[in-house]
Amino acid sequence: MALFKRFESAIDNGIGRRKLGYMLIALVIVFFLWFPNDASQSNYAKTVFISGFFYAIMSSSWALLAGIAGQFSFGHMAFMGIGAYAAGLIARDGVSFALLGISVTPESISAFGSIVVGTVFAGLVGLIIGWLLLRLRAAYLALFTIAFSELFRIMMLTEYDYTGGSNGLSLRPLLEIADVNAARQVEYYLMFALLIVCLLALYWVANSPIGLFLRAMREDEDAASALGVNVVRYKILVFVFTSMIVGFAGAVFYSDVGSERIIPEQLEILQMSLIIAYAVIGGMESLIGAAAGAFISRYLLEAMRQVVITLPFGLTTADGSDAFVWDTGFWRFALFGVVMVFTLRYMRNGLLYPIITWFSGRDIAMKETVSIRESDDEFAARKERDDE
Amino acid sequence: MNDSFLQWLLLAGPLWAAIGLYFLPRISPKRKRGAAISESDLQVAGVIGGFALGPLGIGIFYFEPRLIRRLTLAAGITIAVFISSQVLVRVSDPNLPSALWLILAGPLWAGIASYFIPRRYRAVEAIDTNALTAAALGGFAIGPLIIGLMWQRTPRIGREWMIALGSLGAWQIYTLFAVHNVSNPCVAAPYHVTYLTQQTANGVVIGSIYSLMAVGLTLIYSVQGVVSFAHGQLYMVGGYFSFYFLQYAGDFLSNLTGADISVNPIWGIPVAAVIVFVMGAVFERIFLKPMHEGLIERVSEYAILITFGFGFFLEYTTLAIAGPFPQRTGRFIEIRRFTLDRIHFSDDFFFGPIHIIGDRAFAMFVGIALIFALLYFLQRSWTGRALRATSQDRQAAAVTGINPTNMNTLSFAMGSMLAAMSGAALIPIFNWVPWVGAEMVGRSYVIVVLGGLGSVPGALVGGVIVGIVEALGAGCHPDPSRGAAYKEAFPLVIFALVLLLKPTGLFGREQT
Amino acid sequence: MKRITIVISIAALLALTAMLPLGIVQADGHCEFADDSIKIGGLVPLSAPGAVAGGIAMSWAINRAADDINADCGIEIDGANYAIEVVIGDSEGSPERGQAVVERFILEDEVDAVTGVYHSAVGLATMGMLDENSVPTVFSEPWNDNVSANGIMEYDGRPPRNADGVDHVFRVSPASSMVGGVVVDWLNDLGVDNVVIIAENTDYGQPAAADEKARFEAAGATVTQINVELGTEDFVPILSRIQAAADTPDVVRVLVTGETSFNLTQQMAELGIAPTEDTICVTNQVAFQSEQYWLNVPDGNYCAFNRVGIIPSLFSDLAVELNASYFEEFEDIVPSYAMATYDAVWIIAKGMEQAGSKSDGAAIVAAIEATDLDLSQGRYYFEYGNHNPDLPEGTPAFMWHQWPDPVVTMMQYFEQGQSSLDAAVIFPQVYQTHGTGYIVPGTSP
Repeated sequence: MALFKRFESAIDNGIGRRKLGYMLIALVIVFFLWFPNDASQSNYAKTVFISGFFYAIMSSSWALLAGIAGQFSFGHMAFMGIGAYAAGLIARDGVSFALLGISVTPESISAFGSIVVGTVFAGLVGLIIGWLLLRLRAAYLALFTIAFSELFRIMMLTEYDYTGGSNGLSLRPLLEIADVNAARQVEYYLMFALLIVCLLALYWVANSPIGLFLRAMREDEDAASALGVNVVRYKILVFVFTSMIVGFAGAVFYSDVGSERIIPEQLEILQMSLIIAYAVIGGMESLIGAAAGAFISRYLLEAMRQVVITLPFGLTTADGSDAFVWDTGFWRFALFGVVMVFTLRYMRNGLLYPIITWFSGRDIAMKETVSIRESDDEFAARKERDDE
Repeated sequence: MNDSFLQWLLLAGPLWAAIGLYFLPRISPKRKRGAAISESDLQVAGVIGGFALGPLGIGIFYFEPRLIRRLTLAAGITIAVFISSQVLVRVSDPNLPSALWLILAGPLWAGIASYFIPRRYRAVEAIDTNALTAAALGGFAIGPLIIGLMWQRTPRIGREWMIALGSLGAWQIYTLFAVHNVSNPCVAAPYHVTYLTQQTANGVVIGSIYSLMAVGLTLIYSVQGVVSFAHGQLYMVGGYFSFYFLQYAGDFLSNLTGADISVNPIWGIPVAAVIVFVMGAVFERIFLKPMHEGLIERVSEYAILITFGFGFFLEYTTLAIAGPFPQRTGRFIEIRRFTLDRIHFSDDFFFGPIHIIGDRAFAMFVGIALIFALLYFLQRSWTGRALRATSQDRQAAAVTGINPTNMNTLSFAMGSMLAAMSGAALIPIFNWVPWVGAEMVGRSYVIVVLGGLGSVPGALVGGVIVGIVEALGAGCHPDPSRGAAYKEAFPLVIFALVLLLKPTGLFGREQT
Repeated sequence: MKRITIVISIAALLALTAMLPLGIVQADGHCEFADDSIKIGGLVPLSAPGAVAGGIAMSWAINRAADDINADCGIEIDGANYAIEVVIGDSEGSPERGQAVVERFILEDEVDAVTGVYHSAVGLATMGMLDENSVPTVFSEPWNDNVSANGIMEYDGRPPRNADGVDHVFRVSPASSMVGGVVVDWLNDLGVDNVVIIAENTDYGQPAAADEKARFEAAGATVTQINVELGTEDFVPILSRIQAAADTPDVVRVLVTGETSFNLTQQMAELGIAPTEDTICVTNQVAFQSEQYWLNVPDGNYCAFNRVGIIPSLFSDLAVELNASYFEEFEDIVPSYAMATYDAVWIIAKGMEQAGSKSDGAAIVAAIEATDLDLSQGRYYFEYGNHNPDLPEGTPAFMWHQWPDPVVTMMQYFEQGQSSLDAAVIFPQVYQTHGTGYIVPGTSP
């Protein structure tokens, strides 16, 4: 009983909740680490998880770009594609710069080397695009990135001879494990590790002074720049950083981890819109929220392919079956759209926001601020003025 | 072109230009008498006159400095023609990769110019709105010369400059084609005049239809400051509403009369318009209204996401209900195509035939008529004026008794309605699947940005330009096997360039 | 507290009921089924960007075949009757998803055999995996030449024979070279020398266009190839380009599928490019679904198209019945891939019956190799396999485990709004229904 009391009081102050939150995160990590060892789980479940991890990376890095830095880019998938295609092309064709005396042959580059090349290349393109985008804001930025991403996709599809067109481009396999089960196990851990690494990197940026500058920029770019934030530098920086993260993730994911080839259909705006939807549902301003949103949404979309409701008590349906089977096909996406719209309208910070704030103890701090402010006469007077 | 000419160009031109630059302002008699001619004008006259015509040019300007303004342009173009003919000589050299200049040098100089010129403008605190565009166009058209030219002419760059430079760039590209892709139908005489006319006509017809949809987008933007990302899906559902209405109406009438009656698709347009108008109004009331009431932070991003989510919902709901099978309604008119027969001027010179598909021509007129009806509504009716007033100044409009909330709803509903109407106008022309909106909406974005977000005439012009760019791009691409596949990419390139160089578009209001 | 208890108990009850085993097979009363059933996995595209319409038709066919077999008291193995149970997986037209679904088929659903596959890319990506896991597989729609046993070698870099000495992948759809051959032979018979091929830039359009181009060029014709992106709506600019060419083309060959092909064919007709007296319009199997075709291509009269599968006038009773029930469901003529998919399920089921086992991959493969069945598309057999391993010189490698007889014919509409069941068969000569190799637009046979 005493333990319970302590627990209760711990919950009432923010620090205790945060500890609980860390415990929960640790639990989740342990669950994910244990999961592939559960013999009853099939490889298919692992595959779903692996792609869940991949989309979690995509979504959380998009959350940094759009939610925290306010750069509303639709080109995220394209950067991922650039990483994957660059890795695949260098591993297949090599490259040579006669002028610089640099020559890379396909034989001389390892799978890891090609992934590094892909990452760097995605970063370079991110640099150029980030620089071009400096003048553009909000809707203009979104439109430009849509155009960029569509152009890239059409090129990949049309330059059949170089990119394999809609057959896709195979990347050099990162793992050469003959046994399917063992391979899936390793891929699972690899992708999970990648997710953790990417999340740590994203958090490091978001919580560093850079993150503060980015948030300031998001709220008011002119004000931020007037206060001495080097807007140009941070805008470009965030583009390069997120491009490299997704380029890296793409190159790894398509190097035989999730799939062995990248196809242009993956770069369609539809895929990009799914990433945005995941991030919105999970919470655009929280990196872990976006990641969790992506993972959970993917899992649910997978699970909701067919809804089977078994009737109890020996009841039967009209055609004599004992279960209602509903092929949700497209309805699940329609539902997804509804969830997205209502989340935006009524829970701006995502469906997971209450949970995250509860654990972070931020709501206590918020309540305190509000109550302090309300007791403050000056504040109350100002508020009155504002209300008028 | 022989070597001596090149030597003259490389040596004598700059030499005389330097002489002109140094002496003309100093020796000009008008200048001494304090005439209203600035020193920099005379410098430019010296450079250009000297470069283009040598001592003759300097002489002309010495005696008649008033000619400067007109002749500057003429001289600039003359020089540009010299330079580009030089370039053509070079690229005609089989040892040089043909497209190298075009691919590398043009954009390279455009990039360099657009980096330096606006800097110069800002340095002298001049308005640099057009500088970037002119610099990029000029860099592309006449290479390094533009830097010197514009440096001299800071801060005066008129629209005629851009038109001249732009057409010069286009002319260069065209000449490159003529030299390197002789069999290309765009340049192969004697058919090329007809061919270019045909492609332009194709572009104008389809572009006018595109405009209608874009006008809706621009209307929403002008009042609400919101780019609707559900526009493509509203266009799509507009087509489906028309389709189902025609089907049921046809069945109903057939049952009633016993004869097999099919309803003309023109009747689908008002039906789709009414339904989608209501849909748009309801959506706006529930999801966009809070935005204007200050309940939502960071409005523009919210607007992107919420309309985007709405579109997502519409697309998949339609897919679930209507299925993935393509649908199409009957024709507007029973004329398959209009043909202008070949006119022979002589054996080698003829014009025609030109074909226009009948239904498209009809849809074009429907589109243009609707746009003019909208313009009339905006100009003449009280509501239309109220809409425009709200788009210009919300607070001032509210003071005069206009309810901005209602205007918001009206603008979104009307914008959505226009999308639906263009959907209903196009379903007899293209077959319809739930994802048709995606391609179309990309085009509307290009159009509205090109014409200037918020400008209705801009959307009309932008639509026609996009139509022509698509038609000429697909029609003139040197590799016919790729031209069609890149058809949608051409407007996107224009789009990216406009966003980068002149985000206000052709008719847009200046953004702050 | 009380409310919470109630909520929890209701939730627990629901969870419990959801865990109740599903009764899948309907006992019609006259059949005694074994407890176990034969699971057949159908890998079809049911979401964009895949060809959703095709996937829906194919999953209909699989279910229909299973129903027919079950109505016939299933498959008898060792004296017990096994019912067929269908598991449909959505490939979304993407190789990555296809692989994931196949993995689920194998490890979670534990299917005994697999059929379906619409997109060649999905077929290519999954066949190695299916073979490795000894799952007898009969593909019913991928056309890429390499989607057959020998393709595993090229695609996976692994010899196609499994540890048990056989490979498990069969195909009852034609290889694209088999189709292209017929089209080109027909046109060369007519004597064409200026050909325009319009191909979609996908794994269907590009290899097919390359193949036909090579064949035309071998016969001395000049070929212009134009690639288009799927989803394009307005083809007028590119068609104007064809119209502007100095020589009017003799043939425009459309290698584009779905709604994109309808748009293209219709605009071609509207502009007066083809079909005309000078120019032959050749589209592809999508035109066979005549309801859709006439709805979307009202001016497409006199277009010829290649048709895979038995010609309507030779439809067996089974095919007629299949067509009727397809029509009832989708209001259109049954597409060939639905018939092929239907047949594939039967081939698998009969193979298992012959082998006397539902899980012994090698035995089932041997039984399928020995298939000799009359189904909706005609007589099924496999010429080359382990029973006849030596491919003669000149026989393409894809003939291994390939049904050699998908009937590929050229058909042509000659009346506006005509049902494809009444359209003329014009090539090969043995199947000709109207005694002519080509109906010139404006005439009737």
